[in-house]
Amino acid sequence: MLLKSVNYVRPESVTEALDILSSNEGAAPLAGGQSLTNVLKHRVASVDLLVDISALGELRTITRAGDGSLEVGACVTYDEIDHSPDVRAGHAILARESSHIEDQQIRNRGTIGGNCCLSDPTNNLPPLLVALDATMNIRAVGGTRHVAAEDFFKGYFLTALEPGELLVSITIPPIPVGGGAGYVSLSVATDSKTIVRAAARVRVDGVIEEVRVVLARVASVPIRHHAMEEALRGVAPTAELVRAAAELIGSDVEPIADGHGSSDYRRKMARVVARRAVLAAIEEGGRK
Amino acid sequence: MTEQGTTHVIEVTINGRLYSRTVEARQLLVHFLRDTLDLTGTHIGCDTGSCGACSIILNGKLVKSCMMLAPQADGAVIETVEGLANDGELNPLQESFSRNHGLQCGYCTPGMLMAGTYLLRENPNPTEEEIRRGIKGNICRCTGYVNIVRSIMDVAGGHGAEQADGIVGEEQR
Ligand SMILES: Cc1cc2nc3c(=O)[nH]c(=O)nc-3n(C[C@H](O)[C@H](O)[C@H](O)COP(=O)(O)OP(=O)(O)OC[C@H]3O[C@@H](n4cnc5c(N)ncnc54)[C@H](O)[C@@H]3O)c2cc1C
Ligand code: FES
Ligand code: FES
Repeated sequence: MLLKSVNYVRPESVTEALDILSSNEGAAPLAGGQSLTNVLKHRVASVDLLVDISALGELRTITRAGDGSLEVGACVTYDEIDHSPDVRAGHAILARESSHIEDQQIRNRGTIGGNCCLSDPTNNLPPLLVALDATMNIRAVGGTRHVAAEDFFKGYFLTALEPGELLVSITIPPIPVGGGAGYVSLSVATDSKTIVRAAARVRVDGVIEEVRVVLARVASVPIRHHAMEEALRGVAPTAELVRAAAELIGSDVEPIADGHGSSDYRRKMARVVARRAVLAAIEEGGRK
Repeated sequence: MTEQGTTHVIEVTINGRLYSRTVEARQLLVHFLRDTLDLTGTHIGCDTGSCGACSIILNGKLVKSCMMLAPQADGAVIETVEGLANDGELNPLQESFSRNHGLQCGYCTPGMLMAGTYLLRENPNPTEEEIRRGIKGNICRCTGYVNIVRSIMDVAGGHGAEQADGIVGEEQR
């Protein structure tokens, strides 16, 4: 396909990239290009200047801090996350989910930053990052700011990023002792478009002390289900109680309907995946 | 820094040969290979990143060349299907596709061969499931995949050949 004529630049540092982005109104960052290239082909967004950030070393590191938290650079690819010993050691669920994004070719190019900045409701990583209580580290010419993943996703293809800003890295707190995470998708086929999904993180100490339950594909962005979380806090981590809590997913969620499922079907399946994600998180916590 | 512009001079090594060309920034890498360099072995099926016919190996990584722009390949080392055979002699994987009927119309074959090459480098002794996951990004409209999986398994190390026989058994059941 023939794209509209476009300018391309490959800056040498994040500072240089930010200077270019802030001084060119029609500029957009190009990361893995596994969504943006199609956007350009279909001419649905007008971009005059592509700022290729994919090779910037500053955006390509993975570091585990002393407290066990993980910082992943925005341009680290899914395949690199999957193969990182640091990710596998403390946040195995992030490695596992990254290894299930579409196919090998897309995993070799697509980046965690691009996966979030696109804010496509079908993308794998946003609900997981909300469940894991990640922080999005954002830089602009004027400085750095930090936004909770929960507040980063604003709507279909819309995030908290302002023009000229770059997501530079994502920090994920350690999964505490007695804690675990779970992620369950109902998909059309293996590693493909998802009908509904749920991600959960729990900490159990006799009873469920902390819990986050996130649903995806029931709204334009991943949402926490506060009523289900509330019902789980302080109760014993049993299958019956988790099932009862999942039943609280009701008319408060109004999922979209499409060729893969009606709104009502999605709501019912949301209860199933939410229950399974919480049980998986409890099981993982119990194993540690 | 690569200077800002709508055209760029890029240098790319493809199958061991260095090419230097002026490209438009908007040119897809697959068009650079096919139209500019006349390396038409790499196919275009969907042009949306869904079919894998355009798969190549770039700096050691399997990628879809319709999902990259030509200037992004500046400085890269690329392998395409044209680099597999040696002086007209099919390499073992190509030979295996031929022997096992791993192709019918052949449209998907360049991408399948590159996906298979990458897979076997990363994992020289894959299981059937690993092969199926490894070629998940490549669509074949003809073979039903069974013979493609068998073709890759047949050249894999160790118990690959036994497993390939296992697939035959499965189909007969
Ligand atoms: C056939 C196909 C199937 C797919 N299936 C799935 C799937 O099942 N699950 C899934 O999760 N994804 C899927 N994807 C999408 C893929 O994961 C993309 O990689 C991802 O959506 C975008 O990441 P990217 O690095 O490629 O970003 P790009 O395409 O380069 O960029 C996406 C957007 O984010 C902006 N951006 C990128 N990085 C930054 C940054 N650091 N700061 C600010 N803005 C930034 C860009 O300007 C652009 O607007 C699929 C893609 C294809 C082609
Ligand atoms: S032509 Fe590139 S994936 Fe189909
Ligand atoms: S052999 Fe025809 S598409 Fe695969």
